[in-house]
Amino acid sequence: MSSSNGGFEFHATLAELEEGLETLHRSIDRLRAATGRESDDMGLLHFETALGEIGSNVLTHGRPTGTKHPVDYRLSYVRGVVEASLTDSGAPVHEHLGRQMPGHESEAGRGLAMARSLLDELGYERDGDLNRWRLVKKL
Amino acid sequence: MTLEVQTRQTEGGITVVAPTGRLDVAGAPALKDAINDVAKNGPPKVVIDMEGISFVDSTGLGSVIAALKRIRNRQGELRLAAPNQQVRVVLELTTLDKVFPYFATLEEALAGF
Repeated sequence: MSSSNGGFEFHATLAELEEGLETLHRSIDRLRAATGRESDDMGLLHFETALGEIGSNVLTHGRPTGTKHPVDYRLSYVRGVVEASLTDSGAPVHEHLGRQMPGHESEAGRGLAMARSLLDELGYERDGDLNRWRLVKKL
Repeated sequence: MTLEVQTRQTEGGITVVAPTGRLDVAGAPALKDAINDVAKNGPPKVVIDMEGISFVDSTGLGSVIAALKRIRNRQGELRLAAPNQQVRVVLELTTLDKVFPYFATLEEALAGF
């Protein structure tokens, strides 16, 4: 982690679900502290919620059995814009990207629709055998 | 942070389920287990006290929907109490605030239940 000139950077590799989720939330706590934002800062709260959705998907589906590749996670904050990237080695997920918010009775399937609504930009790219996610929000 | 769930019964026969931690993909099974135990004992009136929930994700929300369905199948009722700002954002974003009656405090949720 580094912080200078009002900017902020964080990098980690995530190998397990619970530990990985803890790291994602801890990184947001550090960003909040580094930028002097309150715990109820709505922009950062929206970003953390979206990060939790994409992060849990990546940590659940992005590490196929037998893979040696952990999830690579980077968080940065520059000139009022927070950006996260997550890179995993799971199967391609193109067919899920346009998923709409399901009805009230559904117990699953809301994560991507929530993330899209909460962010300024949700990017996804298939790069060889890797999935690259990019989450951007102006705070 | 693993989700911890405590359950107690009020003098009025209402079951209060109080999870503490993050209600996410890792914590949701613990809430489901607790609700399944509650629902075994007849038509339940249940309040999920959300005061100890620091964060909810869509999987955690799914476990609350599952709880609602399970309790209604037993002719019971479910209320949510004291959701923090992040939980309220998620409920409103998904329009599930129209499905779950939620109350600002546990006392308000228990009143008149």
